[in-house]
Amino acid sequence: MMRTNKRRIALLLGMMLLGLTLAGCASTGEDVGLSKVMDKGVLVMGLDDAFPPMGFRDEDQNIVGFDVDVATEVASRMGVELQLQPIDWSSKEQELSAGNVDCLWNGFTKTPQREEQMCLSTAYMKNTQVVVLPADSTVQSIDDLAGKTVVVQSGSSAELAIDELEGFEESLKELVAVSDNVTAMMDLGTGSSDAVVMDEVVARYYMSKNEGQYRLLEESLADEEYVIGFAKQNQSLKDAVEEQLYAMAEDGTLAEISEKWFGEDLTTLGK
Amino acid sequence: MNVLSVENLRKSFGDLEVIQDISFSLEHGEVLAIIGPSGSGKSTLLRCINLLEEVDGGKISICGEEMVSEVDGKVQYAPKEQLRAIRLKTGLVFQNYHLFPHFSVLRNITEAPVHVSNVPPAQAEKTAHELLDKMGLAEKADAYPCQLSGGQAQRVSIARAMAMHPEILFFDEPTSALDPELTGEILKVIKELAAEKMTMVIVTHEMAFAREVADRVIFMEHGVIVDQGPPEALFHSENPRTRAFLGNYYRI
Amino acid sequence: MNINSLLKLVPHMVDASLTTLNIFFLTLIFAVPLGFVICFGRMSKYKPVRKIVEFYLLIMRGTPLILQLIFFFYGVFPFFGLSLPRFWAAIFAFVLNYAAYFCEIFRSGLESMPRGQREAAAVLGFTKTQTFFRILLPQVIKRILPPMGSECMTLVKDTALAQVIGVAELFQLANSSVSREASIIPIFVAGVFYLLMNGIVSRCFSALEKRLNYYQ
Repeated sequence: MMRTNKRRIALLLGMMLLGLTLAGCASTGEDVGLSKVMDKGVLVMGLDDAFPPMGFRDEDQNIVGFDVDVATEVASRMGVELQLQPIDWSSKEQELSAGNVDCLWNGFTKTPQREEQMCLSTAYMKNTQVVVLPADSTVQSIDDLAGKTVVVQSGSSAELAIDELEGFEESLKELVAVSDNVTAMMDLGTGSSDAVVMDEVVARYYMSKNEGQYRLLEESLADEEYVIGFAKQNQSLKDAVEEQLYAMAEDGTLAEISEKWFGEDLTTLGK
Repeated sequence: MNVLSVENLRKSFGDLEVIQDISFSLEHGEVLAIIGPSGSGKSTLLRCINLLEEVDGGKISICGEEMVSEVDGKVQYAPKEQLRAIRLKTGLVFQNYHLFPHFSVLRNITEAPVHVSNVPPAQAEKTAHELLDKMGLAEKADAYPCQLSGGQAQRVSIARAMAMHPEILFFDEPTSALDPELTGEILKVIKELAAEKMTMVIVTHEMAFAREVADRVIFMEHGVIVDQGPPEALFHSENPRTRAFLGNYYRI
Repeated sequence: MNINSLLKLVPHMVDASLTTLNIFFLTLIFAVPLGFVICFGRMSKYKPVRKIVEFYLLIMRGTPLILQLIFFFYGVFPFFGLSLPRFWAAIFAFVLNYAAYFCEIFRSGLESMPRGQREAAAVLGFTKTQTFFRILLPQVIKRILPPMGSECMTLVKDTALAQVIGVAELFQLANSSVSREASIIPIFVAGVFYLLMNGIVSRCFSALEKRLNYYQ
């Protein structure tokens, strides 16, 4: 999943400037990830604190969510403290390469591009791109969306999924890209559009916030996996985190946390 | 005692020679008026003597101290500290007063004595009140410059210059910005200063003014002194250019 | 979004506003003096100094502040091996950016001063420093108050950009609340906070202008 890219243009320009200064010092580092974390006794987790239910702020402004619970357990099993560092999601690659955070862990979708740039953990959860409809919609299948208006978050993996689905975009009346999923849901709520495509876990969260107003199309657009991202050279840290995840899958802790947040076990690790 | 001596002064702006070889000197208590058409270089002359313009050649001394001189054809100003000391012996009253608008009348007069000459504030204020009294502006001490008429503002600016106790006071067209009926106020003040033996140089368009207060008048044109002498002599001069200039003046 | 959630949000918004105000005041405290220093460089008689300052002004005013925040935090500091906390990195970028705008405001103020003020001060024997602080500066302040007021109000709103490098200020809080509540009301609440802060800024400048109205 790729998140909010409102500031994509500014970022691109910034990156062009950065390109020169950072060239050559990007991926040459040694694998010190694990020793750094163990020495300091702190694992810094970079996340978007506006991405419910994976990581977000509750009304008391504590950062909570599925990923936060899992990470807290992993850190405590590793014997280190978990430090949650909210970041601007569009700068996540820089946060990681500058060493401001040790990992990106926040409903982070596995993509071929990211596999190349970073060191990704084994997928721990399955995610699908789903179609959210108003409860009274007559749409029953993806084919029924022909001639309708569909909204997606700009730069999201929902947008990618639509791109990959041959002929789908052409069949629509219009594909509207908005800055975030909340706006997309509002668009749907006001009747300006007929459907929203987004991550299943996110869709379920927003549907629970507006009980009875929306339903999901049974057919999904694409299947994806959530992973944890580490800096390219930090293989050892990835291994250490993964080891704890497997152990948690084994003893049922992972399933327990999943049930707390999603009402069912959506995790895929060790299955 | 010689208060001001100017020798062979030259000043150009680009190709334009505004002052060409001017020399004159002034004794203590003397009042000199400099008259001449616009662009004759009178104001530039004052600005050179008051260090607002750099000269291109010549020599200026004030109270016997050499301010600028020419050594082997090169202009040489006195060292910075000495220049500052010499500058304190002179005062300049501008055509447009240039009062400090953010200060009250009183503070306009006391600011320089207190912060430049380190006069105790109480003493500076006492002097300022005396000067304002003399200028007939006693009740304006707490007013701001924007509340004054042109004539009042010009009198405050004279008081401001006088508060530094200069050896010589320069006036650059002090009445040009004033309504004709207000020039009398300024004339009166200058006359009083003359009676107190204040050495003064007045650049002016006002012929009557020059005639009434000056001991000596210099007539300047195209950057040179064309004619000079006591007012009565100059006003009856045989010099054709002086006559032409004064003739214009009388016709107006 | 229900009323209880809203009531719970308000105290947090007050907290986040403190971060916003911190950015605002720290930027002013550093950017105003820096702006003056740069202004003197801009008006320097030495051409190289002028050229360097002009280049700086072009960069700071010619690129988005949001880009500068990213550039300093993810580019410059890591490159030199510095790890400045997010908040201070944001202050750093804000100060450099705002000093550029302040510099030009100061310059317009200084250049609008009649030459006669400098000359009158010189003739009375004031040193250059005295002339600047006693004669010119007080008058310049009066002249630049209106543009400074506008710039300060812009600064209050620009603090929202600090979230791009992860500084938890008011707008960031509003955004994350929007995601949680699936409602855009938090954004409007934040709007009321910005309006309140700028209302105060605007009142302060009006009062200052009034105080300096005793002369023209």
